Amino acid sequence: MKQFINVDSLTDIVSNSVGILIILAVVTLINDNSKSFQLEIPIEHQSDLSPVFIVAKNDALLVLDTDILFTNAASQATKGAAKGKRMFSLEYGQLYGQINQESGLVFHAREIEDSADWHHFNKLEKTDSALHQQLNKINPKKQFAYFFVYDEIENSSISGSGFEGFRMARKYLKSRQIKSGWKPVDSDHPASICDMSFNSLCKYLPSYLGSS
Amino acid sequence: MASRASRYARYLPENKLEISLFPFLSIFLCVMGVLSFINILSSINTPQKIEMTTELEQGYKVAFQIFSLPDGIITVPPLSRLVALQKIVSIETSDQIAQIITRRETVVNQLKAYKGQLGDLASDPDVDDIRAYLHEIRFINEAALKHNFLYEEFLLFGIYPDGGKAYHKVRDVMMKSQDANSISVGLEPLDANWTLNINGTPALKETGAHSK
Repeated sequence: MKQFINVDSLTDIVSNSVGILIILAVVTLINDNSKSFQLEIPIEHQSDLSPVFIVAKNDALLVLDTDILFTNAASQATKGAAKGKRMFSLEYGQLYGQINQESGLVFHAREIEDSADWHHFNKLEKTDSALHQQLNKINPKKQFAYFFVYDEIENSSISGSGFEGFRMARKYLKSRQIKSGWKPVDSDHPASICDMSFNSLCKYLPSYLGSS
Repeated sequence: MASRASRYARYLPENKLEISLFPFLSIFLCVMGVLSFINILSSINTPQKIEMTTELEQGYKVAFQIFSLPDGIITVPPLSRLVALQKIVSIETSDQIAQIITRRETVVNQLKAYKGQLGDLASDPDVDDIRAYLHEIRFINEAALKHNFLYEEFLLFGIYPDGGKAYHKVRDVMMKSQDANSISVGLEPLDANWTLNINGTPALKETGAHSK
């Protein structure tokens, strides 16, 4: 006579466990899909604060020393290197300059990996880093940070090449009560610095919430 | 009286039926392992998905959102509080606001009806459309101010990677527009996996009011 083994209890355990796992997976999926994120958008404001310019590209940041840049640009222009909107080396952070009547001094950042002036944004965590010290020099009562953020996308990335660096720097500056403004730049719309007294389109405004 | 055989059987060691749990445990662990593996794999590979709401407010400031993508822009006009504004303004202004509401409802409904990828919805910024939007926003803001209604629309740019070109085109139009002078602007970098929750757009609650 054949003896049958009763496997009901085991089947019960297995099906229950698998069922619970499936339910958990479905619940997690539904929660993920319904998650909504409200952006907290700082709005541009007119300000008497003067801008400190920073370029964000390939997760690295370059704090611009405008004295050096304009001195170098003037030197190159005197030599005739800037004629006919030609590009010339600014000898600073692998930046190439171009003088444009409408946009002022235009910057093109190229091969920045070779430059020691650019700093990866994760250096912000180190208090003794050069980037940390450069940002700490910004006086919140007189200055604000203005970022030129490269929006060009790298391979398999989901973010613009300067977005993450900008976000981290802005967060750090906010903790120090320093206001920030920014605009996206790329090779067709490069970063530029011009004087508003020369051209009314040269506006660099800080962005912050009405409550801050 | 019991037979000899039955007496003998009484003293035999009990023949217990032993069940091997190995196959069941094996199936159980396999299923759990596969599910856990899929879960871990999906959490690593799937980028964080964030959905942004279409109605965004900061106090009395309400965002007229423009999402700037590589292929163009997507405009998401605000609707929810326009009916309340419409009720307190003069008849002539009310009629104009009714037209604005109708136009905006058409835009939002088209967005809601679209089932494809967000990027495919973007269109090259049309100069006349942008001018019309700027005029519309200025008109609404001035009407709200005139009637002491705490409501102000501002332009909010969401810049996706490689979306800078479309953004600059819109800003160029704004620079030349008188209507844009009084309109506040906010901008924020967005990652490629941040999607817009079109269906989260609240419909007008008092639909009868705008058609008077």
